[in-house]
Amino acid sequence: MTHHLIRAAILTGFAMFIVYLDRTGEIILYIAPRMELYVKLSAIGLYAAAVYQVYAALQKRMGNQTPGCDCEHDHAPSPSIIKNIIIYGLFVFPLLLGFLVPTGTLGSALASKKGVSLSGSAAIERTAPQSPTTPAANENNTNPPAVEQQTDDSLDALFPSDEFTEAHAAYGKKLYSTSLITVPEKHFIETLTTLDLYREAFIGKEIEITGFVYREEDMGEERFAVSRFAMNCCSADALPYGLMINWPKAMDYVEDEWVSVRGKLTTSTYLDNEVITIEAVKLERINAPESPYVYPDLEFGL
Amino acid sequence: MQKFLFRFGTPLLGVGCLIMLALIVTNRELPNSLFNAANLQSFKILFISIILEAFPFILLGVLFSALLQVFVTDELIRKFTPKNPIAGVLFGALLGILFPLCECGMIPVVRRLIRKGMPAYIGIVYLLAGPIVNPIVFTSTITAFRTTPEMAYSRMGLAFAVSVVIGLLLYKFMRSSPLKAAPALHIVHHGHSHSHDHSASGTGMRGRVTSILAHASDEFFEMGKYLIFGAFLTAVIQTVIDRSTLSAFADQPIFAYLFMMAFAFILSICSTSDAFIASSFSGMFDFGPLLAFLVFGPMIDLKNTLMLLTTFRVKFVLILIALTAVLTFIGAWITEVLL
Repeated sequence: MTHHLIRAAILTGFAMFIVYLDRTGEIILYIAPRMELYVKLSAIGLYAAAVYQVYAALQKRMGNQTPGCDCEHDHAPSPSIIKNIIIYGLFVFPLLLGFLVPTGTLGSALASKKGVSLSGSAAIERTAPQSPTTPAANENNTNPPAVEQQTDDSLDALFPSDEFTEAHAAYGKKLYSTSLITVPEKHFIETLTTLDLYREAFIGKEIEITGFVYREEDMGEERFAVSRFAMNCCSADALPYGLMINWPKAMDYVEDEWVSVRGKLTTSTYLDNEVITIEAVKLERINAPESPYVYPDLEFGL
Repeated sequence: MQKFLFRFGTPLLGVGCLIMLALIVTNRELPNSLFNAANLQSFKILFISIILEAFPFILLGVLFSALLQVFVTDELIRKFTPKNPIAGVLFGALLGILFPLCECGMIPVVRRLIRKGMPAYIGIVYLLAGPIVNPIVFTSTITAFRTTPEMAYSRMGLAFAVSVVIGLLLYKFMRSSPLKAAPALHIVHHGHSHSHDHSASGTGMRGRVTSILAHASDEFFEMGKYLIFGAFLTAVIQTVIDRSTLSAFADQPIFAYLFMMAFAFILSICSTSDAFIASSFSGMFDFGPLLAFLVFGPMIDLKNTLMLLTTFRVKFVLILIALTAVLTFIGAWITEVLL
């Protein structure tokens, strides 16, 4: 009976934890929005199981054999008290951690472990230079209506594309036509990838980006990267993406501080690679946004 | 307790040693790297997020397993499982298309199927292929590798091939039940009283519902403890080990494969999202190592190894891991050469 009650308490604990995360909005720190629904549904499942455990405890109390399973005694808790403490402790540990330790966000510490990508999505970058296409080949391609009037030969020449980078080329043309490129949350990775892909076209353009300060030793005193974590499902698969910033007084900004940067796009050399860089003209400290993460747009270009 | 020590002492020590080795290789000190505030924060977020992400899938798995237990008779399973070993292996490898479950939800279901009379080799094939050869994972791989759609096809193909080969090998060489000894005894007992109790005499709808809840919540705890422990290790490793140090291996062709497979093992992420991780590596690694990552990870990883150990004999799990690793390695290498 004690076992049933302990289990009921643990199950309720997890269900409540999910509800708590949802209510406080902290759930976005752990799980991508497209997974949220499933996690919330699992809270219902956990709660149902908890109710059952209480019911089973009461049945036992009244001397009834649980109608459930007398088939699987291997599931029955072990008689060893120490082992039970260890096992239930294992379940209680994440709950205690979740409820008691104040939540921060992922930052530079983890970013340095995972390695920040300074050139957008590598998957796109690698294939692009290998497939040069003539501008003429692209003229028949359908472009989103928004940029149709902009599409002329010179623009196509600036944004050569193949079937895989078509979406980025179209997006690049759209960005190119704006006077100030604001890197949006919704297309953070896609924007960085496009900027990197067509860096020649974008040099000299004005750009604005927000993110946390990330620094590597090799960046020296005048550079840091403005970064965001991109998450697919849960934060275990989050990867940091960033854009290099050039600013004489870069050292005034400490790691993990949230900043908004405005400047002109250029390129610089970092660890023998040419990376796109912002020659900053204005830096501003800002409050951390509600969701520290950005999410890849799975429908991008579809 | 003593039995517990005997059973898990050695593997745990092994894991501990591996972690220490990794720390030595990457020149890090344990206290410094885990116990500062920033790392504790990363650890907490990773740890809890892995658990939260796995919950829906585990619950789905245990629920599905409980439904099988209560509503599907052993005869039905026997009837639907092909008798011919080759047909059986193919059936197991394609079952994921009908019942797409990810690796966390898979183990209770497979165990249930084996206990209910599905030949063990077919169950194992489903266990290996199911998390990859299914429409959901195919879609996510295509999305992640939009520029190289071959990746999705190779992934499906290689996973299918590896699991089929393992299934046939198991059919040929596996003599005893791979399930742990204690539950095996219950199969006998089960056939007599249990299926009679629930499925046949039928305590009505209410009886069935309680029975489903009983099975599901028991299994939830059984799988949950390994999930949490696996999530714990994964989170520690991810917070402590520097990826760039490890990826120095990327230049050596063979090490690149081994590294990506080891990395998939450590990461223990769900097969629906690992394609996105892999695609983030595509600048650094070639097609072959990435394919090895995508095929090996969902079949075998740290979290699910611990969960496999709840169900299968230690020796069997080790052989399964070795077989999967070797076959994936060879298969991915051949694919890279061919493409």
